[in-house]
Amino acid sequence: MQYQITHLTSYDYSDPVGLCHNQLRMLPRNMMNANLHSTCHSAEVLISPAPTFRFEHTDYFGNRVLTFSIERAHRRLSVTASSRVEISIPEIDFGSDTRSWEDHLANLKAGTDENWLEIEEFTHPSPRIQPSAIFQNYAQHVFTPNRPLLECAIALTQKIHDDFRYDPEATQVDTTIEQVFETRAGVCQDFAQVQIACLRSLGLPAKYVSGYLRTNPPPGQSKKIGADESHAWVSLYAGHEMGWVDLDPTNCKPVDCDYIPTAIGRDYSEASPMRGVAIGGGEATLTVSVNVEPVSDSKTLSPRNSS
Amino acid sequence: MEGNVTTVKPSSEHTRPFAQYRSIDDRYDEFIGVDGKPREHWVALAKHFDRLGLNGIQEYSDESARAVHESGANIRITREQQVRPWQLNIIPLVIAADSWQELESGLQQRVRLLEVVLSDLLGPKRLIHEKVFPPELLSANPHYWRAYHELSNAVPKLNVTATDLARDDDGSWWATGDRTRAPSGLGFALENRIITGRLLPRLMRTGNVIRLASFFESLQGQLYSLASDYAKARVAILTPEKSSYRYVEDAYLAKYLGCSFVEGRDLTVRGNRIHLRTLGGLVPIDVLFRHISDSEVDPLELNPDSKLGVPGLLDAIRGGNIAVANGVGSALAEMPALLPFLNAASHFFFGEDLTVRNIPTYWCGGVSEMKYVIEHLDELIIRDAFKISGQEPIDASMMTSDQRADLISKIQAAPHCYVGQKRPARSRTPIWSKDGLDSWHVALRTFHLQTADTVDVLPGGLVRVSPDPHSLDHSPISGRLGQDCWVVGEEPVNHQKTLLPPSNAKVQIKRVGSELPSRVAENLFWLGRYSERAESIARLLRVTISRIAGESSIEQLPDLPRLIASLAAVGQIAPDYAVQELQKSLPQLDVVLPRSLFSSIEQGGIRQCVGRIVDQAIATRDRLSMDAYRLITKMGDEILDGNARSNCDMAAAIELINRLIGDLLAFSGLTHESMTRTHGWRFLELGRRIERGYQTAELLEICLVKDCKDNKPLLESILHATDSLMTYRSRYLLQMSPAPLLDLLITDETNPRSIAFQIKDICQLIEELPTESNNRRGKSAKSICQSLYKACRNADPESLAESSKDEFRSELSRVLWRLMSDLPLISDHLTAQYFLHLGTAQSLSGRSNDKYSTVKNN
Repeated sequence: MQYQITHLTSYDYSDPVGLCHNQLRMLPRNMMNANLHSTCHSAEVLISPAPTFRFEHTDYFGNRVLTFSIERAHRRLSVTASSRVEISIPEIDFGSDTRSWEDHLANLKAGTDENWLEIEEFTHPSPRIQPSAIFQNYAQHVFTPNRPLLECAIALTQKIHDDFRYDPEATQVDTTIEQVFETRAGVCQDFAQVQIACLRSLGLPAKYVSGYLRTNPPPGQSKKIGADESHAWVSLYAGHEMGWVDLDPTNCKPVDCDYIPTAIGRDYSEASPMRGVAIGGGEATLTVSVNVEPVSDSKTLSPRNSS
Repeated sequence: MEGNVTTVKPSSEHTRPFAQYRSIDDRYDEFIGVDGKPREHWVALAKHFDRLGLNGIQEYSDESARAVHESGANIRITREQQVRPWQLNIIPLVIAADSWQELESGLQQRVRLLEVVLSDLLGPKRLIHEKVFPPELLSANPHYWRAYHELSNAVPKLNVTATDLARDDDGSWWATGDRTRAPSGLGFALENRIITGRLLPRLMRTGNVIRLASFFESLQGQLYSLASDYAKARVAILTPEKSSYRYVEDAYLAKYLGCSFVEGRDLTVRGNRIHLRTLGGLVPIDVLFRHISDSEVDPLELNPDSKLGVPGLLDAIRGGNIAVANGVGSALAEMPALLPFLNAASHFFFGEDLTVRNIPTYWCGGVSEMKYVIEHLDELIIRDAFKISGQEPIDASMMTSDQRADLISKIQAAPHCYVGQKRPARSRTPIWSKDGLDSWHVALRTFHLQTADTVDVLPGGLVRVSPDPHSLDHSPISGRLGQDCWVVGEEPVNHQKTLLPPSNAKVQIKRVGSELPSRVAENLFWLGRYSERAESIARLLRVTISRIAGESSIEQLPDLPRLIASLAAVGQIAPDYAVQELQKSLPQLDVVLPRSLFSSIEQGGIRQCVGRIVDQAIATRDRLSMDAYRLITKMGDEILDGNARSNCDMAAAIELINRLIGDLLAFSGLTHESMTRTHGWRFLELGRRIERGYQTAELLEICLVKDCKDNKPLLESILHATDSLMTYRSRYLLQMSPAPLLDLLITDETNPRSIAFQIKDICQLIEELPTESNNRRGKSAKSICQSLYKACRNADPESLAESSKDEFRSELSRVLWRLMSDLPLISDHLTAQYFLHLGTAQSLSGRSNDKYSTVKNN
């Protein structure tokens, strides 16, 4: 499945901004997870007004990072990221691995996995996710003794989806996961981070994935441009044979070909699409729109809506 | 031994403290050897001090305390803050050159090792792959930002490092920790040496004390060599905010090394280069010797809440446009959890043992280590495994059983976050106390400079001493006293080295110093305003107290209520005194007025002004002459530290005010006579002029807008308070009348105390300031000032003095009110135009339901 993605972010300011420095993680990376393969064929970012300086580099996690600055007064900043990404979803049998989550944990601790170093760092606290007893207790409702790892993980995804309310008003960018847990409400970033906290509090390695979700219009209606979303979900390491498995607590399912990853990190702070500092500006109004358009008409593969 | 040869008369024994010094216990004694005799390398020094005798040493000690007090590094951050962490003791720690060389080569090996360890951790991580290090040292380390990997691989990352040492009973040194980020203490070590060197020049020369200057010369050279163009390089020391203890020595180092001294908010990134904001515009910086935390250097990519760094700095590093020393991420090499694994790393990379041993340190991430730590909790100190902080380590031996159980469960919950460390035995060394020598424990911090091919070790270091060895384990600034450290050789040393350029060097002639950081301009402006305000209040208070102290009783002083009202307006006394009905219920003026000056409870008026003067002087330390700074320090001491005064009556108050006015005038004279006419001077002067104009207008408004019957005493008091009585009398003799007074104080441009004089001067000063091309429309400071000037010139003294039937001088009131509203306006405009370059920063996250956290950056 190939997609053309257009991600528009704009800030309108009440006062002029004299100087801004920004960093974008909007250029999709390639990813080869167990149930999600993505290849970025092309990507570009248009910035208005034209940046005084721009520079691209690859970060520690392999994400593509674009840093830019605008050093003259402007009242509007717009960033348009356009990319073409190929997504394929290998069929995996979640029931094939019957090893318990405790077995997986023991394997990790033994350090025999050839990727142990890369995996190990996703078991520890990160800037926005401090695993603790509250998350551990919550996770243990489904991580019962001797239950297969993936079965537990999918049950946890289900549980978070059931227990938490999707509410964009409930949280803000600086809301902590403890607050999210307390109010049981938030958005995809929050759910992903809560699930990661649960997994890590058991000692299991989990990544934060940021990207896009293609939304499918109700039958008979055409899709609105920009109605797609920027999204976030979870990657869990499920052993050497399986690798990283992507799960979406917001929609309560493993990912499918509607999911387009752009960046990974230990949490939101390392994978968020945009961060920046602006001097001046007064009141800022943000507009974001995402449009995910399937490119190929020849492909017979239709988006698989999991039940 | 030589020291004992001259022992003849036992009676003189007690006046020869070194001859009398004995080692106390089994600790290694720096001065006395195992044979009970002084060590060879101490003999010259011991003889010297014994010759001075008790009184002589005490004199030197007093002299040294004075020198410390006045020295350049003696910069208080605020009045409340300690001058420096420890006082300097007159006795240095002496170490023999041959034993020093051994230590030196061990430290060189250590620095090289830390460099390769750091490069490996921020690179291929072989140490972890090969399981020399446990992975948690990085993966569980909250101070390990992944962005550290995304910077240039320039080496060395570790330019300046330090190691903390303790000497064991057998004379060998233990390393108790390293400082690889931005070690503090280098400035103090230098200051200690400069002061000791000034007091004991001959002993230092004849004693073959190895000089420190060449180390600082190499440091300067190394910093400049980090720039792509050595000759044109601009180096800046990036210091934390003023309240940090680092600020003091950073200012000192910057001055000694000839670097710019900057805070993060002085810098901005333009076109991927770091620039210093100055009044004259942006000036590029090539090298940052940064003394702020790694995670604080760039809020764009690291800690977003940082106010100390510069947004865009990391990208400038990636672009190769700025060199940062020490490299960003260097702090990883100082984590305490590294210590137990360093020797293995040394084997891994160099195939050899570390020569300088580490104090036994147990990382609780290991199962047996955690068990050991918990079983031996009392013998160990517990530290954060990942970060060296200013906080004291945990000392379980002082804990209740509850606290101990709590600690144990904390360690068990996150074992990899803790290390247990043995307390070192610490050698003893002689220190001078009031009545002789004491024997205290020693902590030595050494400093190392790594260049492309060598490691230089500072021949000496920062010595802290304390009677309690444990207190030295706590932090780099714990301990009771500081000492200089002398490494003495057999051979005479070259004394010529200094960082001052050789006299025959060709120097580019420069005239203008337009590179004044905006922040400094602002501080100078307020220094001017507060010193003028202090003088105005002091004069007014003096007049008032003199009147009360005079022969007439208070009721017979018709001018008194207005003087009191004026004092209330400037915050010298409570506003209630301005209301006559309330006065009866308040304490008597002859008590209240002196108290307003002496009591530390009083926060307004003169005390407040002097406090601000000292603060501003501290912040502009490098722009003021030594003499000016000393004056201000003295003023601060006299006015603010006067709690111990026994005599607080009116006579004492007048005496103190006289001294204060004298000092303020001296300061004003100094700035006039010895500051070059740069923008810095202009802002200082603008501050003065604006304040003097305002204070005079306010005084006149309170005293003269309402006419009164017997106005002679009042007019005289006003002339006293404005220092214009002499001029008035020379013109009008004893005829006291409002119109000539108003002429002298408002319209007469030739009187440096008149308002017209101030405004004319302000106009001229503003004219000379750099202007920005995109000058905004609307009123500017310049246009306000010019129209004020016209208003003053056009005012007619006769009509100003004219009062209506209800004794109200409406014309005077109008002019004064205009002055009192427009002068602050000029100040606001200057602030907006020159000081607030920074604006308000806000962070952008691209997330749609953001609450915009706006951060005021100034």
